[in-house]
Amino acid sequence: MKHSDTVVIGSGLAGLMAALTSAKQGKKVTLLTTGAGSLSLNSGVIDVLGFDENHNFVESPREGIKTLPEDHPYKKIGVDTLEKAVEAFLDFTKEGHFPYSGSLDRQILVPTAVGTLKPTCLAPRSLNGNGLKEKQHIVVVGISGLKDFYGDIIVDNIRPLLGENHRYEVVTVESGLGGGRDITTMDVARWMDTDGGLETLASALKPHAAEGTVFLLPQILGTAGEDRMIALQDKLGAEVVETTCLPPSVNGLRLQKIFHGALMRLGVDLIEDTKVVRAVTQGKRCTAVVAQAAAREKTYEAEKFILATGGFYSGGITMREFEQPKEMIFGLPVWFVPGEENWSNEQLFSDKPQGFAKTGILTDENLRPVDNKTGKVVYDNVHVVGRNLGGYDFCFEHSGNGVALASAYKAAMV
Amino acid sequence: MEKATVVVIGGGATGVGILRDLAMRGVDVLLVEKCDLVNGASSRYHGLLHSGGRYAVKDQEAARECIIENKILRKIGKSCVEATGGMFVRLDIDDPDYEQQWVKGCADSGIDAEPITLEQAFRLEPLLSKHVVSAYLVPDAAIDGFRMSWQNVESAQRYGGRFKTYREVVGIQHQNGEIQGVQVRNMITGEIEEIACDILVNAAGGWAGKVAALAGLEVGVQPDKGTLLAFNQRLTSHVVNRLHKSSDGDIFVPHGSITILGTSSMSIPDPEDTSTSREEVENLLSIGEKTFEHLRDYRMLRAFAGSRPLYMPPGGAAGRGASRGFAIVDHGKDDGLKGMMTIVGGKFTTYRLMAEKIVDQICDKLNVKEPCRTAEEPLVPEVAENDKKEARKYFPAYGTNLAATRLGPERFRRVVDDLKAHPEKRELVCECENVTLAEVEEIAKELSSFQINDIRRRTRIGMGTCQANFCALRSAAVFAKCGRDKVAKDSLGQMKQFLQGRWKGIRPVLVGRTLREIEMTRALYELSFHVDGGKKA
Ligand SMILES: Cc1cc2nc3c(=O)[nH]c(=O)nc-3n(C[C@H](O)[C@H](O)[C@H](O)COP(=O)(O)OP(=O)(O)OC[C@H]3O[C@@H](n4cnc5c(N)ncnc54)[C@H](O)[C@@H]3O)c2cc1C
Ligand SMILES: Cc1cc2nc3c(=O)[nH]c(=O)nc-3n(C[C@H](O)[C@H](O)[C@H](O)COP(=O)(O)OP(=O)(O)OC[C@H]3O[C@@H](n4cnc5c(N)ncnc54)[C@H](O)[C@@H]3O)c2cc1C
Repeated sequence: MKHSDTVVIGSGLAGLMAALTSAKQGKKVTLLTTGAGSLSLNSGVIDVLGFDENHNFVESPREGIKTLPEDHPYKKIGVDTLEKAVEAFLDFTKEGHFPYSGSLDRQILVPTAVGTLKPTCLAPRSLNGNGLKEKQHIVVVGISGLKDFYGDIIVDNIRPLLGENHRYEVVTVESGLGGGRDITTMDVARWMDTDGGLETLASALKPHAAEGTVFLLPQILGTAGEDRMIALQDKLGAEVVETTCLPPSVNGLRLQKIFHGALMRLGVDLIEDTKVVRAVTQGKRCTAVVAQAAAREKTYEAEKFILATGGFYSGGITMREFEQPKEMIFGLPVWFVPGEENWSNEQLFSDKPQGFAKTGILTDENLRPVDNKTGKVVYDNVHVVGRNLGGYDFCFEHSGNGVALASAYKAAMV
Repeated sequence: MEKATVVVIGGGATGVGILRDLAMRGVDVLLVEKCDLVNGASSRYHGLLHSGGRYAVKDQEAARECIIENKILRKIGKSCVEATGGMFVRLDIDDPDYEQQWVKGCADSGIDAEPITLEQAFRLEPLLSKHVVSAYLVPDAAIDGFRMSWQNVESAQRYGGRFKTYREVVGIQHQNGEIQGVQVRNMITGEIEEIACDILVNAAGGWAGKVAALAGLEVGVQPDKGTLLAFNQRLTSHVVNRLHKSSDGDIFVPHGSITILGTSSMSIPDPEDTSTSREEVENLLSIGEKTFEHLRDYRMLRAFAGSRPLYMPPGGAAGRGASRGFAIVDHGKDDGLKGMMTIVGGKFTTYRLMAEKIVDQICDKLNVKEPCRTAEEPLVPEVAENDKKEARKYFPAYGTNLAATRLGPERFRRVVDDLKAHPEKRELVCECENVTLAEVEEIAKELSSFQINDIRRRTRIGMGTCQANFCALRSAAVFAKCGRDKVAKDSLGQMKQFLQGRWKGIRPVLVGRTLREIEMTRALYELSFHVDGGKKA
């Protein structure tokens, strides 16, 4: 039996941020997790709110949030707390030598692997595409053998967005990696960690650099921090920008890395490959959770529990039969939109939110789970964060990591 | 003006069978199809090459046709048939008297039905319900409708047969009681084209009534919708049929790495209606789990539906009671419109026989004496063992045979050469179905490829476990490079359209593990790629 102040379950962005914030408050924290969550898939940029309920583009997330319905997690969290969470996150990335920038007042445009510009709120410098419009010469850089990066379609699709008076070029750099096998962005990023790799790339690109050139690359500029990006820019004397990509996402892993480093320094007990299977409760309090690792069960006691198990995607919530969603550890009430006609829209890419995506747990202001009918708090010392929360469609509104960050911050602070 | 002696309307199994048969007998023939080939029931179906067992009690003529054609198709279409064998199982809740009638019906129709012990049955099909009380083996098999139809077309082309896709017949021209030709709308450009012909064959399946109406004729075709569920695993190794009076949800057909459960039967007014509902899915599941109790623990990939072209002789019965047999109408004799014929009904399993019967009549009219040879000549020449051996060096493990059967000898040879010359094209566009870049490029360049969906039907990209999460991007990139026109090259539009096509089948099964998969799809394409721009405020 082990006792902590706070047990966090799940190590996606929400769990990591909850553990970090709790530990910074001087709490003794245990983080239990089975897998890595969605951070390794998701570019690691923090969308706060890109589109409102009517699918209108939101210039300022701060203003956009005001228009959201009352059940939306941001309404529970509050803009002030969101603001503080953003500050805390920006400070943390600075301390981790991997500074993010951005604010709640305007969007950053991140170039994607298909040449669109994706709005987000906080991003590291390497993914910030706000300056692209001002550049005259855009060089899209592919790496031979690297899957899922297609320079030509990036040019086709970004051209109408940036305007016609830019010069576009596609360059493919021979990496010598893989020996005929497919390679991933992670392989190339590791190669970029080496001086030889960086030098090879720099000398291949140098002849294309001129006044007003920007290089657009897949996420390959080193596996950690922004040092390799800066080094490449210095060598080229030109700006470089990375795009989003199909998984694995190197940038998501960079962010995960600084979290892991900080958690270790703060003495958080990070226990991986362990699956929480049930909770021990007494009335409206949870006293412990039971986790399973390699067929052995272990009990973790705490004063406070933060549930960051990631909803449908990571298995925190499942639904084996229609209209019967289940939260897997506490058996918390899960809210959902009933009726087949409301469950999903005819169009996959629709101008209304998808009903099924709003499935999740409803909470009070302090993110404690509530009964869907009575609104009464179910457990006083359990807090629900991230993708587990009900009432929002993170894909439609572009708010996944923003809700994760802000809800985690709040749950840790209350 | 374009001209052909015979124009065939409809690129389903029936139409392509007729195309091949006519071409092989030396008749100048052109087939027109309003979408891609096999847009109708010939791909939206169960893929069961019937032994005839299913019809052994109710319709022995159909049963006999099935077993004869079953043997022929195994021979001429080797690479389209997966010789799984079939099993009929009776559950404790099913009528034992029916079993006796069925055994006799099989014997009378020439179908081998071999009784096996329960122990054998459970060994062969470990997931079967313990409520099974008797079991038989029959020569059922699985058949790939896309491939069989394409191979018919390619065989026809070798004999000079022609086809055009994305051409919808919108008008039938006739003068003084004689067919002159058809008007077709080019579905890509919207233009109207005219094609002259002497004989017009209406093989439009569930749409046959609508097509006949274009000439002012009435043909009784009742579109009868059937819904099917695809599971992500191979739940059975045999085709498993429930041994009772034919009903909904009682057949499981394994195809490659998936299993299809079906089907239902519902009269609908419009054959375009391929919608499926949660209720239909629930219905299939609750019947299916009688035969396989743990059915709900497996991931459903999608639900889909097609409509059977049931022929309604004036005053006949609808639904499962209507005849599964086929009818040929000579409108010259019946309605005074010389040169026009309609063929409807039947089954996929009997498409070749149907084609033979109508082509015999057409040849009579044209005074062509060539006999039918479609039952003897294989659809495609075998891919040479040497080519396959060489290909193994370049193809992903286990991919060679599949690609050889998908591509046929000539294309396979070209793809192998391409892979040899360009090692980078060994990259897999679809990891679920082991499809290389070289193969996707080969198909993307063809004249009949307008959308990624057309490539999907030929190569199987996007049809496996990931349901296009990864290959939507990759195939859009290939199309942007090799596609022929602006529409093909519009990578964002192509991706969205392709994923939307998959979405249609996913919606009714949006439960269980499918929810997780769709979260991934949406997050990748809406968040990582931002393919859907939303509205500017
Ligand atoms: C492909 C993709 C791209 C995305 N792109 C973006 C983007 O560009 N911008 C953005 O803002 N958002 C994006 N998102 C959304 C974003 O990733 C999520 O909304 C957000 O990060 C959710 O975080 P989470 O911590 O709540 O859940 P997750 O990241 O899913 O983490 C859940 C964690 O819980 C653990 N867990 C589950 N059950 C148990 C258990 N029983 N015991 C122990 N541990 C358990 C899992 O192992 C995992 O570690 C994307 C998502 C995906 C999938
Ligand atoms: C759910 C279901 C399951 C089935 N399972 C099996 C099975 O397991 N085994 C079996 O043997 N049989 C099965 N069948 C029956 C079999 O699928 C059909 O009998 C057969 O495929 C019919 O082929 P067809 O060519 O006549 O019609 P279709 O395949 O429907 O072809 C008609 C074609 O005509 C085209 N068309 C329509 N109007 C026009 C126009 N105006 N201009 C140009 N083209 C036009 C359509 O686009 C379509 O491609 C099943 C049927 C269904 C619905």
